Amino acid sequence: MSQTPTPLRLHKELDRIWRTPPGIHRLSSVNHTVLGKRFMVVALCFFAIGGLLSMLIRAQLATPNSAFIGPELYNQIFTMHGTVMMFLFAIPMFEGFVIYMLPKMLGARDMAFPRLTAYGFWCYLFGGLILIGAMLAGVAPNGGWFMYTPLSSKPYTPGINADVWLLGITFVEISAVTAAIEIFVSILKMRAPGMSLTRMPLMGWYMLVTSGMMIIGFPPLILGSILLELERAFELPFFDPTRGGDPLLWQHLFWLFGHPEVYIIFLPAAGALSTIIPVFAQRPILGYRAIIAAIVAMGFLSFGLWVHHMFTVGIPHLALAFFSAASALVAIPTAVQIFAWLGTLASGRPRWDIPMLYVFGFFFVFVIGGLTGVMLAMVPFNTQAHDTYFVVAHLHYVLVGGFVFPMLAGIYHWMPHISGRQSLYRLSIPAFWLIFIGFNLTFFLMHLTGLMGMPRRISTYPSNWGWDWLNLLSSVGGFILTMGFALVLADMVLQFRFGRFFRRDPWSAQTLEWATATPPPSYNFAAIPRIDRRADQLEPAKIGPVLAGGSGYLGFARNGDQETMGVEMTTGAPEHVIILPRRTFLPLWTALATASFFLALLFGLYGLTPFGALLTLVLFLLWPTTLGQKKDFGPVSIGMGETAVLDVECTSNVSILANRAALVMNGTLFSSLLFGGLFLLVVAPNWQGIAPLDLPIWLAVVAVLAASLSALCCWMARRANTAGNSAGVPLALAGLGQLVALGLLVGLMVWVPQPTEHARQAVIFVVLGYAALHCGLAALMAFHALLRLHQGYLSARRQTECILAWLWNGYAAGATCLALGLSLLLAMMGQIP
Amino acid sequence: MTPLDKRSLILLVAGFTLWSLAFVLLYVLQALGCAYDWSHHRLILIAAYLASLLPLAWLALQRSRDRGATTSLSTAALWANRAAFAAGVLVFAPVTFGSMCL
Repeated sequence: MSQTPTPLRLHKELDRIWRTPPGIHRLSSVNHTVLGKRFMVVALCFFAIGGLLSMLIRAQLATPNSAFIGPELYNQIFTMHGTVMMFLFAIPMFEGFVIYMLPKMLGARDMAFPRLTAYGFWCYLFGGLILIGAMLAGVAPNGGWFMYTPLSSKPYTPGINADVWLLGITFVEISAVTAAIEIFVSILKMRAPGMSLTRMPLMGWYMLVTSGMMIIGFPPLILGSILLELERAFELPFFDPTRGGDPLLWQHLFWLFGHPEVYIIFLPAAGALSTIIPVFAQRPILGYRAIIAAIVAMGFLSFGLWVHHMFTVGIPHLALAFFSAASALVAIPTAVQIFAWLGTLASGRPRWDIPMLYVFGFFFVFVIGGLTGVMLAMVPFNTQAHDTYFVVAHLHYVLVGGFVFPMLAGIYHWMPHISGRQSLYRLSIPAFWLIFIGFNLTFFLMHLTGLMGMPRRISTYPSNWGWDWLNLLSSVGGFILTMGFALVLADMVLQFRFGRFFRRDPWSAQTLEWATATPPPSYNFAAIPRIDRRADQLEPAKIGPVLAGGSGYLGFARNGDQETMGVEMTTGAPEHVIILPRRTFLPLWTALATASFFLALLFGLYGLTPFGALLTLVLFLLWPTTLGQKKDFGPVSIGMGETAVLDVECTSNVSILANRAALVMNGTLFSSLLFGGLFLLVVAPNWQGIAPLDLPIWLAVVAVLAASLSALCCWMARRANTAGNSAGVPLALAGLGQLVALGLLVGLMVWVPQPTEHARQAVIFVVLGYAALHCGLAALMAFHALLRLHQGYLSARRQTECILAWLWNGYAAGATCLALGLSLLLAMMGQIP
Repeated sequence: MTPLDKRSLILLVAGFTLWSLAFVLLYVLQALGCAYDWSHHRLILIAAYLASLLPLAWLALQRSRDRGATTSLSTAALWANRAAFAAGVLVFAPVTFGSMCL
């Protein structure tokens, strides 16, 4: 450790450790500032592509009987417009913003898993390029952004268009699920010491709930995509009603994700608003506690609304009433936030600047979208307006109002932080008015065309139905809107190139991100502050220079390690020192291997897919080789006269919490699969007259026993390790036991008679496959812990690998029990001929 | 984690977690009753409705035991649980009058 270095020397030492070198080494970056910016830049590029597609749509619909684009190309264009905007722009844009900003707001030097951030970025980029490449090749998805079956099933979409969507989006969503876990863990464990949950800025609360929603919300979509791809590639009939499947299962799985997705997009934007509005109102946010309660309520209620997208499919009135009531109810916590923001402005001393223009735009547009949402929550109205342009208008008012306007406010608020410069140009004001007027001209009129009966997705229309002028004006509005976005882009470029330099905190904001230098250094803070009040009422201009001088926690460069603080989850008390992995090309190689797996699937080269999967697995196994320590260090100095242990000596470290979160996510996927099996059993047609299956019960019982005993061995291994005894034998037995369970489950999969014949066999086949996969993963975790034990990385104080082996083995045992239970239930169904 | 913080954090999500479980339970019972033509379908649903409201009501009344130790988190938890109770009463009420299987 250096002895009281000067601020400049401290900066140089920390920068040497944290910085991303130029040239080809940029590709090895794992730094959150670099990756957050990359996410946002790529997302904005996809936004431009999505916008271009919308221009083509509006050019086509500007006049009746238009021959500008044929129906097939039009189908691809509107499908790609929705897909690009939802999956390649909105989610990655807020991910990028959060990856860039969250550690700075919370007082950390990086996210919890920097290499995972980089891996997620590459998966996002490669997945997005697959989708755009397919579009340029003329084989883009063409079944609408929600890919309803049976239209997207093989008989009706025989080309690879739907496969591009299913595989490309699943590939892209790797970045979302990794980000979700990382954000969740980083918020709970990586705040500045003293920042208890009740001192956390509201942005932290918004992102905590959002990440929790992503952990629960994304697995149903991923499962649905896997099942539909299995149906398309291998004819397993999950959605084919002639063989016991049901197209409605796809709709349930899609909207179980799809509706919370709207809130997943809105909540980060609302977090940005809750940060920006107090700055310009010049007073603390009103209703901090009420907003926390409202965010939690929204997070849960948003999962009770998914069927309002399915009101016309023939669901009983009672079930419709549940979803209708929940859909209307979610307006209340939304309104709590709206009134808190309005109250903050009303009781403060608002000053108008560019970000506030977009805040005004948000209020105007989003409230209209919310009100039409309440209209659509009512079943009778929804039945009339379903699949019309009224819904198109509503969803754009919600998504553009709830995400794009706050995003633009956020861009103007935080761009000085990224660029280190302030805007000198007044392009931003005409840009706002072009966007505001253009948006309302485009989409308000769609309410009218929708009420006049114009359906969604039609590529043209006759001239005598009264829609001509409204559509023409919508198209004119669309082009005005585009001009506004072009001006924003020009304004951003000019600010980066010619903007005026400034010192810290140009807006007199009170959150911690403004305590960094601007643009921020690679390590964010030379020392991490102690927070003694609510972290949205700080004085960054005063704190910043103190931290830059090294006064605070970890205000030194030690052993060339990337160190940051880990805290107790609720109180924020210092708990351990997290040593983050340094930059590496491994995430890039792993993402390329993952891409080879997805591309092999896409092109039907199924013989190559095991190689892609195996290569990905091997590369992942290389990740932990540089982590850990071979001896106990005990408490080390963290500055401020305090000490804390290193992360590997702490049993509540980020790796363990992340694995718990991953298992919750995994459990949600499995629950969705179980739900799918039971849904088909209870609801799907063509289950009458099928014969029971003679499942070899002894094989199932032995598999359950093997998996359960393995979990028991891991539990014993953990206890032995904690007591300072060797955990080698129980870990080895656990690994072997899971391999036995894996073999038996694969045997049962082979036994399933003709999985393509009926959905019952297909569900059993996939459920057994899920259990087999997890027994394999559990064996891997047990053997990995055994290897680390022999390499000297485990001790009574260093327990991480043992705990992880126990978690995964316990999960595998539970999943095997449930999988075999469902398989037995389904096998018993039917009448003996 | 102090006991008060831990309790408040759990309480913050407890009400709506129960609300979600009740939602799933009622939706499942409604579907099963229709699929297998249960004779006392509505009665079962109303019983499940009332049973699910009991813990929600209990949570909605859980003030901090130590008034001096009330934190922002415990207040937010109380409000969230009251909202969950209200959501339970309103969203599940159609079991008492809605058409069951049509």
